[in-house]
Amino acid sequence: MAISDIPILSMLRTRLQWHQQRQQLLAQNVANADTPNYRPLDLVEPKFGPGAPALAPLQLARSDPAHLVGFGGGGDPASTHNQFQVRPAGNAVSLEDEMIKVASNQMDYQAATQLYTRSLGLLKMAVGK
Amino acid sequence: MDFLKSMAIAASGLRAQAGRMRVISENIANSDSVASTPGGDPYRRRIPTFHSELDRSLNAQVVALGAVRNDTTDFRTKYEPGNPAADAAGNVKYPNVNSLIEMTDMRDAQRSYEANVNVIGSTRAMIQRTLDILRG
Repeated sequence: MAISDIPILSMLRTRLQWHQQRQQLLAQNVANADTPNYRPLDLVEPKFGPGAPALAPLQLARSDPAHLVGFGGGGDPASTHNQFQVRPAGNAVSLEDEMIKVASNQMDYQAATQLYTRSLGLLKMAVGK
Repeated sequence: MDFLKSMAIAASGLRAQAGRMRVISENIANSDSVASTPGGDPYRRRIPTFHSELDRSLNAQVVALGAVRNDTTDFRTKYEPGNPAADAAGNVKYPNVNSLIEMTDMRDAQRSYEANVNVIGSTRAMIQRTLDILRG
């Protein structure tokens, strides 16, 4: 059995490839931050499993309908932060947004590589090393 | 490897912004260059243009510095009869360079350059993380 047949490792590999592609698109956006009529691009978040439904955000239980709802806890800040402004030259790249995306992409990639390392560590433990 | 592609794209941004910097410094350096003949035209401000082009080996839109165009606005004129570049009426044409605009452009170029450097740094950190898998 090849090491890539292990479900978690193949999932993580897909995830890492997704981050690589996204980094390329973000680099393209930043490089074209002054090109007239350029619109920024981004990748769609990967969905796991066939037609994976979005998880319902966690809610505080309310004993009375008059209680305040409180924070939903769910909602991705990246998806709500979708408004973009177009400058007179027709360019819609916001350097600040792109920098945030680059940073979060880097952190998520790091998380995935660390999970990969841990999974390999589990395998090592299983073979007794 | 896609990460190297990301770096190449960011490098194209660095190159374009550096070229823009060169044109800006040319404008600032020549902001007082008058004509050498009486009544002639002085230095004309130059404007860098950008365009994105598809790099087939990278399969991505990289940025490139396009043609450097001339600014067609009017020249500043000053009344200096003693100046060798003055015309018959004693007016001297000065370049249409506004140092305030050049400064703003320069800051903008600097900011974009830094953003591209950030992308390269972040990509490098990601490559480092990948290599860290090997160490376990």
